[in-house]
Amino acid sequence: MFTTGFKYFYGLGSALMTAAVVYGYTTGGDGLGPLVMGWEGGVGDHLGYGVLLTLGFVAMGIGLILVAFRDADPAAQSHYLGVESVPPAPQVTGNFWPVVGAFGVGGMAIGLVINTAVFITGLILCSAVAIEWMTTAWADRATGDPAANRELRNRIMAPIEVPALGAAMVALVVLAMSRILLASSKNGAVVVAGVAAVLILGIAVLYATKPQLGRNLVAGLALALGVAILAGGIVAAAIGERSFEEHEPGHEGAIVEIVEGTTSVEIAYSGVEASL
Amino acid sequence: MTMTESPPATATGSDGDTAVPRIASGLHTWLTTSDHKKIGLLWVVVSVLLFAAVTVVGAVLGFERADADSVDIFGGINSYFQMWTLYRVAFAILVVAPLFIGIATVVVPMQIGSTNIAFPRAALGAFWTWLIGAGITISAVLIGGGWGALDGVTSDEADAISLTLLGTGMVIFALLVASVCIATTIFSMRTSGMNLSRVPLFTWSMLVATSVWLITLPVAASNLVLAYVDLHHGGPATFGNPEPVAGVTAIWQQVDWVVSQPQVYAFAIPLLGILGSIVPVAAGARHVNHSAMIGLIGFFGFLSVGGWSQPIFHDGTEDFLFIAFGLVILLPVLGSLAGAASTLAGGDGIGLKDTHLLASLGAGVVLLAAVVSGALRVVEPFHLIARSTTTGVFNLVMVSAVLAGVAGLWFWAPKITGHQLSGGLGKLVVLDLVLGGLLLGLTDLVSGFLETPDFLLAPPVSSTADALNLISAVGAVMVALGALGLVVGLFGGLRSDAASAGDDPWDGHTLEWATTSPPPEANFSEPPAKVVSEAPLLDQSGSNESEIV
Repeated sequence: MFTTGFKYFYGLGSALMTAAVVYGYTTGGDGLGPLVMGWEGGVGDHLGYGVLLTLGFVAMGIGLILVAFRDADPAAQSHYLGVESVPPAPQVTGNFWPVVGAFGVGGMAIGLVINTAVFITGLILCSAVAIEWMTTAWADRATGDPAANRELRNRIMAPIEVPALGAAMVALVVLAMSRILLASSKNGAVVVAGVAAVLILGIAVLYATKPQLGRNLVAGLALALGVAILAGGIVAAAIGERSFEEHEPGHEGAIVEIVEGTTSVEIAYSGVEASL
Repeated sequence: MTMTESPPATATGSDGDTAVPRIASGLHTWLTTSDHKKIGLLWVVVSVLLFAAVTVVGAVLGFERADADSVDIFGGINSYFQMWTLYRVAFAILVVAPLFIGIATVVVPMQIGSTNIAFPRAALGAFWTWLIGAGITISAVLIGGGWGALDGVTSDEADAISLTLLGTGMVIFALLVASVCIATTIFSMRTSGMNLSRVPLFTWSMLVATSVWLITLPVAASNLVLAYVDLHHGGPATFGNPEPVAGVTAIWQQVDWVVSQPQVYAFAIPLLGILGSIVPVAAGARHVNHSAMIGLIGFFGFLSVGGWSQPIFHDGTEDFLFIAFGLVILLPVLGSLAGAASTLAGGDGIGLKDTHLLASLGAGVVLLAAVVSGALRVVEPFHLIARSTTTGVFNLVMVSAVLAGVAGLWFWAPKITGHQLSGGLGKLVVLDLVLGGLLLGLTDLVSGFLETPDFLLAPPVSSTADALNLISAVGAVMVALGALGLVVGLFGGLRSDAASAGDDPWDGHTLEWATTSPPPEANFSEPPAKVVSEAPLLDQSGSNESEIV
């Protein structure tokens, strides 16, 4: 009648509740307090008593669920389903979304510290993963044919995925680059922007000229990009933004004196009229 | 959308997709796989690499402590504190827990006759989340973060400390997701006839371990969130308090309980299951009392629940419950070792020739040293709570758990890698880890009696304590060498030209040995026969008297 799982968790729950009562009395409980959850008398240390009692209730709750479902005993499941053998686990196709979700969570963590936009990007990524995950999980069980399931899923999601992924990639790169540029020195920012532009162009050319490009290379590039973005975020958190000169409004076009040694580039970008 | 009972006719995609699953290989496979064996291998490989890194940090910390007059290596007490805390946290949640999760992810579904793990995508997502969280945590500590700062949190350090807290939270979240996958597999995917009392002991121990982790680690995650919020918004808990409490930061006090008694024992629960799985196979006989082992492992798990023992609640180290947990936990460990000894004694005249048997017995001995040290630590008249004994117990538990991991890797290598791991190298690793672990842990136990503090780099209280610190550092170096050997051994087994393993090289008793090495994608070519005892392969061979439960 009682399943092994029920006995285990019921025993665990009983032990925890007993421990709660003992703990209550040994930490200053009086009267019937520890026995009746403080209805009459004190329970001693509230936190320890509360934690033990809660764990006891949780364990007993799990025990009740297990006895209701017969320990998820496969033989019992087979009986309810009316089949001779235990049903095999459904075949699950692999995809990138778990990894994307992991990077999304990482983006949220780093974004909480360095920048709200990065956090929101991570949040959007996780939301997208949740939608994709649910759709794929549904499609996996739609029919008994994996190819038909895949076709079904693609028919629904592909029209959304392709443009959304394209836009998200562009936004992610722009956002990450902006953070890195803000953390770099003035000349360093120019170098970083140049290298990034060449890299993006190079990858695009490579992909356009070699459509048969291996999926491993694409996976590697995507992984490297994700790691670079997170690493850039950590570096940015370590260094902080470089300080910027604040200009008060209305000073545009003001005549300033050029200090000896100022370069022409700095004059050109200063937005002021020069007078020597 | 209507669900259909029969598959509709579909056009084959332009890329040639058909109903036959395509076997992909390379990086793409590792990023997208839903095969539990590949996911488990990812956990195992990364945790073993991190083990090597963590033990190097431990060895450097040991030598820093051996010369406590100045902080020469790290350059400051705060840097020392950061690495000291990183060593503890990383050993527990970046090495030991993921190593067991990795082995379990590969082995548990096969042991219970399932074709895959429950929620394979979540299992893969858990691994990558854990890996990224680990990267964030380690990077954040290296750029000046950590779990607080002894000289007060400056605005420059606040971001790095926040990243440390959030990275640690990610790691814990990932471990919890992986735990859910393993526990659900055990509950809902067992083959016909395999009720919970017939599951192999390793599977049972993982059910207990993941249950305890699921109960307790969310408490740690909540503490981290509180610390993060408090650090950012200046709440009343003063987690960024510049005044150290009992020699450590207030933030560390929120995390410290996870790697202290009794919670630290939760990371060693699978050790008892591995011991209980390997010994009967080595003895060629059934375990003398499988049911008792189920009870003992469950009892050990119960006594390692430690969320209630946090010092932030109050200093409960003198409470009855804390002392009782510390003393009573000796019973399940002694019981398990007695069961192993009885099984070996009643077996077919085994010799100590197998690496996995040596490693599992070594793990049991080191765990016994850990619980004995822990029992001494909670005895109030000895005053060992804030002394180096705390680190001693931690190191003993961690090394014993890694030894169990070594036993599991060498035992199940045919199923994990498809090859056997080097026996000679394995024995060296085991010997090195056992001796190094005992040196590392027991010297700290003795130092505790000599009033050596746990964290503070105080000048040696006596020349004996000074010598013990040096011996402890030598033990840390030995453990680091053992870690290096483990890395070499594992990667040697992953090479395609490594010695091939038979399907059942040890004459195993449980279902994972009923399939090929390496196993096919769905584990079994045909569903296993109905299980009638805890050793289904012994039942099939007809050897040994069956003890049908």
